[in-house]
Amino acid sequence: MPLETEATAEIRALVADLRPDDADMLEALHRVQHRYGYVSQEAMYVIADQLRVTPAHVYGVTTYYSDFRTTPPPEVTVAWCGGPACRLKNGAGIRDAMQAVLGIELGEDTADGRVGLVAGQCNGSCEQAPQVWVGERVVGRLTAARAVTLARALRDGADPASV
Amino acid sequence: MSDAYDALRERADAAWAAWQHPERPRIDIAIETSSLAGGAGDTLRALEAEIGRRGAAVDVGRVHGYGLQWLQPLADITWPDGTRVLYGPVTAEDVGLLVDEATGLVGAAANLAVGTLSGRRTGIPPIADHPFLAAETMGRRLLARIGHTDPESLDHYIATGGYFALDRMLSRHQDPASVRQLMIDANLTGRGGAWFPAGMKWNFLAGAAVEERYLICNADEGDPGGWVNRVLLEGDPHLIVEGMLTAAFATGARHGFFYIRNEYPLAVQRVRQAIADATAAGLLGDNILGSGFSCTLEVIRGAGAYVCGEETGLISSVQDGRGMPRVKPPFPAAAGVFMKPSNVNNVETYANVPLILRNGAEWFRQAANPAGTDIGTKIFSFSGDIARVGFMEVPFGVPLAKIIEVCGGMVGGGKLKAIQAGGPLAGYLPGSLLGELSLERAPFSKHSALMGGGGIVFIGEGSCSVDLNVMFSEFLEEESCGRCTTCHHGNQRMHEVFSRVAAGGGRNEDRHNLELVGSSLAYSNCVHGQASPTIMRNTLRLFEREYEAHVAEHRCDALRCAGMTRFRVADQSDPNLPAARDICPTGAIKGEPGAFEVDDSLCIRCGACTDLAPRGLVREAAPLGTAVPEQRVPKPPGVPAAAGRVPLSFQTTVIARPEGGMGGPPPFRR
Ligand SMILES: Cc1cc2nc3c(=O)[nH]c(=O)nc-3n(C[C@H](O)[C@H](O)[C@H](O)COP(=O)(O)O)c2cc1C
Ligand code: SF4
Ligand code: SF4
Ligand code: FES
Repeated sequence: MPLETEATAEIRALVADLRPDDADMLEALHRVQHRYGYVSQEAMYVIADQLRVTPAHVYGVTTYYSDFRTTPPPEVTVAWCGGPACRLKNGAGIRDAMQAVLGIELGEDTADGRVGLVAGQCNGSCEQAPQVWVGERVVGRLTAARAVTLARALRDGADPASV
Repeated sequence: MSDAYDALRERADAAWAAWQHPERPRIDIAIETSSLAGGAGDTLRALEAEIGRRGAAVDVGRVHGYGLQWLQPLADITWPDGTRVLYGPVTAEDVGLLVDEATGLVGAAANLAVGTLSGRRTGIPPIADHPFLAAETMGRRLLARIGHTDPESLDHYIATGGYFALDRMLSRHQDPASVRQLMIDANLTGRGGAWFPAGMKWNFLAGAAVEERYLICNADEGDPGGWVNRVLLEGDPHLIVEGMLTAAFATGARHGFFYIRNEYPLAVQRVRQAIADATAAGLLGDNILGSGFSCTLEVIRGAGAYVCGEETGLISSVQDGRGMPRVKPPFPAAAGVFMKPSNVNNVETYANVPLILRNGAEWFRQAANPAGTDIGTKIFSFSGDIARVGFMEVPFGVPLAKIIEVCGGMVGGGKLKAIQAGGPLAGYLPGSLLGELSLERAPFSKHSALMGGGGIVFIGEGSCSVDLNVMFSEFLEEESCGRCTTCHHGNQRMHEVFSRVAAGGGRNEDRHNLELVGSSLAYSNCVHGQASPTIMRNTLRLFEREYEAHVAEHRCDALRCAGMTRFRVADQSDPNLPAARDICPTGAIKGEPGAFEVDDSLCIRCGACTDLAPRGLVREAAPLGTAVPEQRVPKPPGVPAAAGRVPLSFQTTVIARPEGGMGGPPPFRR
């Protein structure tokens, strides 16, 4: 365990009530990601220490799940719904259009750290298909043209709440 | 009845009476995942502001949407006389009408009325008469509270009969074995897709040699297009808590886990709230309702891994690890969470338990398919190219043709091309089988498919089976845990092949290779790998001509596959062409008014241009030799193209007739 710093002390406080062998790993990772936006190497060490497992184990778990990040998040994340109802309504075209505008693929962030694109999972609001999530907010009944406009606006610094 | 329960019931009855007959009108907004996606948050804020601005004598409440999701955001008004009317879609702009209607301007919101939930209103039919609900012939059992109660209210749950059966069971000191037997008599089978008798699974757990044992509620609901469990978790969380408690009593478990997928944050919040409220009321924790029975529950939030829905993957995930499915045996009943005996059931399985405990096995069995093989009612969610997207609860055996009818038919009156039930492992059947299919297991398995957990997607003519296989195989590849070479490589191969076929590079031997991949997938550890080839096989067998057209004739009749289609300016007089040029994300539309052209080598076939200029541009079959872009994601200058994730398909530059073509050498002789 590396030396305790102010940062690690803060993380330690965040997970202080979690116990080894008590089904707490996902909770620890969620808390850290909620607080910092990602799970840093430091945090992995603290969690490992707290739950009495190896840092390698924590790293393995963190990277196994698609919802945990190991790098700081972009300013705004666009999650593209990869589900069937969206696919029927040109979901693939919407993905391709956004990727082309942003110059990145699903799972990547723009070089300036402004916008990230990720694959999202259908959550059963399929009446909105085809849709994306901008942050937490659903932008539904999209067309590829609207997706282009949306991606351009985000790329150019628009307020995510306004697109 | 225990005194503790009587006291709870008394308080609950008072709260419920006030909810049903409020002193002043109340407007309830549906607050759940689907309504929020439709803007219910804005509606709620606008409503509160409007009431404040007017100083109107109206209260605001919260419900779960009734199931008619295409009408979200849904809302209802309850008047002091007990009349209750459902409205939708109620956007932020419409809230004034609702406040008018609530405060006595009768008819103000008449255009938004969907049906009456209770009482009568001239001109508004009872909700049960809504055409969407015509297949709910047994009424709503599991969904009885949905759209009526506040899902966050313990009082509403209790006043509508909740925890009654639990209290009766505990206060009569019922024999746990008789509770398990009751589930067997009722023929309650697992709703997670495998249909194993719940009571038998409980017997395994009850017979375990070790005292310490666990219950798990599988709320991972990963199948895209299925949201049956979400409705119960968000709409009636105490029902599942009561089901879990009953199962705990019947099996000797003293602790239970809800494993809820990360995509359902509201479900996590509501179940946690339900657990806290039940604990505070003495319905959970030590010495429940003074009976001496103790049980605790906790929620674990998943993190985006489909195979964590597989029961042993889920167990690994709960146990602080990567959610990789384990080798069975040992089965969970022998060695589950922390290697202790455990029982995993689906949300809907647990939800049926309090109903059976209360109403008996006979009552439960009254709902069944005509053959009597599938017992009970089942919630289904319907989506795709249908006019009405939503969920409902039906007895097994309802013909799918009836379902399409109640769902308002295919959008735009189009034809049904295919039915995709039960998620990416379950199957893909042609619309021509519609007359044979009904919501029960047998007709699906007859065609080598499965009905699955309740998600049904209706697919119209505009979609392409090869393109859908690209989507499903990508999902299966992405979600493989990586333990078995057959599964992680097999699905990778399947995805590659379908991507290549869609890009116009299909080969004669692909079909054989897909079959080969399918047979090796059978040697995978868990059902994820084993069932991965189902949709592919259904496609090759039941959509053979469509598949072959892609490979042999280089033709995608649905005009979906990027490698076989192109965009062309068809009408230079369309005034929207400049807008189309400007929207094009790759600058593929070149030239000036009167002489626009699409550069095939830049065009990624995204369709943004035809969205704006549907007359000026067409998507059409691409003649052989048409260029497609080198990469799907054009990089701005200076940024190197990301390697690795670019599907093989898009590295093809020119569409060439696949080697061998139609009359080429048969596979495997080369
Ligand atoms: C890849 C995969 C994903 C699964 N996902 C779920 C799921 O999301 N929910 C569920 O209840 N069962 C799921 N199952 C089935 C479970 O393994 C298990 O059979 C089920 O939870 C048992 O509950 P039941 O008997 O009440 O149906 C999945 C199975 C596989 C192979
Ligand atoms: S079949 Fe696939 S998902 Fe299942 S254990 Fe093997 S690799 Fe993992
Ligand atoms: S399909 Fe997309 S990339 Fe092709 S011309 Fe139209 S807008 Fe441009
Ligand atoms: S398929 Fe996109 S929301 Fe369901």
